[in-house]
Amino acid sequence: MSELESVISLCRMVQAGKIEPFDIDFDYIIGVIRKHYPHIKDVRDFCVDAEALKELSGVLERQNKWIEHQSSTLYKDPFMLSQQLMRMDIGAIAEAFLKSWHPVVEIEQVSARTLAESLGYWGDLIPLDERWRNPDVIIVETGTATRGEAHELGLIPEEGFMDLIEGFWRELEDRAGVGGRIDYWDWVGAETYHETVYRAYLTVFMVGYGYANVEWDKLLEETVIIHNPEPKPDPGRAKVSLPVMVDYEEWRQWQRE
Amino acid sequence: MAKRVSKAEQAYARKVKDAVHLLFFKHHKLPGVRGWELRQELGSEWQSVVEVLDKQLQPLDLQVTSVTDDPSIVEPTGSQLADARFYITLRGTVDQKTAKTIGWRIDDIAGLAVSVAYIISKQGKAPRTDVERVLQDKLPGWRVKLNLDKYIQQGYLGVDEQGVMYLDWRSRAEVDTKKLVDLVVGFGKRESQA
Repeated sequence: MSELESVISLCRMVQAGKIEPFDIDFDYIIGVIRKHYPHIKDVRDFCVDAEALKELSGVLERQNKWIEHQSSTLYKDPFMLSQQLMRMDIGAIAEAFLKSWHPVVEIEQVSARTLAESLGYWGDLIPLDERWRNPDVIIVETGTATRGEAHELGLIPEEGFMDLIEGFWRELEDRAGVGGRIDYWDWVGAETYHETVYRAYLTVFMVGYGYANVEWDKLLEETVIIHNPEPKPDPGRAKVSLPVMVDYEEWRQWQRE
Repeated sequence: MAKRVSKAEQAYARKVKDAVHLLFFKHHKLPGVRGWELRQELGSEWQSVVEVLDKQLQPLDLQVTSVTDDPSIVEPTGSQLADARFYITLRGTVDQKTAKTIGWRIDDIAGLAVSVAYIISKQGKAPRTDVERVLQDKLPGWRVKLNLDKYIQQGYLGVDEQGVMYLDWRSRAEVDTKKLVDLVVGFGKRESQA
């Protein structure tokens, strides 16, 4: 092993906690690195030299931590601490530990609700032979549909999209008043879940196009839709995307209330 | 106004309940959750919700404890708290009788105490061979290896590929290291003063 490799190994012993950081003589180590530097011949020598410098900087870091630790309230002389541990009997050591021990509390259990939900999932799970069956593909000839037929199928709205939004905006004015406010669920909620989702979808565009504004109370988890008398985005308000989940259970709860 | 206050109380109560579910139940390999997970579930006021829960747990002798990955951090910033791990721990301490009922022999507790105190005295890192040597003074050799493996498996101690031991997550969450060191160093002083 070369002199530089011995230096690297010595520095690594400090990193591993095998010797104290201040047991290393920095001047001696840097002297060795300096001595070898002018004799570098190839890339390998260069890498060993760089490695020695890196490990020495690690020693300096440990020396810094050692000083920080000594100045902290946690520092007690390691020798004194080991001597005290040797003096104490097992009972006294255990007693000291128990006085400073606050065990973590954790629960591992399956609740009745989780079991019921899992059973429901199991019941709805399609058997593997059905799930892995090759799908029956039917070849269908392409055809054409008139605009009226597309309207009937609900593929395109009967009026223009902007007309829809404006109609929606006028409805908001009727229900909330000019510049008025209305609770989000009172606004989007409808007789059917399908209609509710449809209204929530249009509300997103109504707000996005500046026909209305939205306010969200994070604590109360309340969302309010505010009618905008002039249909343009309020420059005073930051343009934010507000994702609102139109949850089926929430819709049912809203209906019950 | 009264309706609004009542709604706010309900919202807080619901969030505290959510925090209980997150903190008490084990969701990952390790117990507890990171601050950012609490923020994700409880919203931007997550720290206030955790404070309320901590107050509500006080009569039950429990508390919410946060542990940062860097043990040198004393007063964590907001972003450091988001990265910290939060646990529910016992607020008080356990006596020897209770420790026995939860599966701890007195030798195991003393062995852990010596290992933790020794590693602290070595600035948080010590070779496993050195820890074994210290323990062998009072415990039989076969028991030392067995106990150290148990402490590692339970998360009290960690060991790297070079055989260097350090305090792992459970010691940082459960052990008041300053108090332990003070009690060890102060042992016998009170008796001699009396």
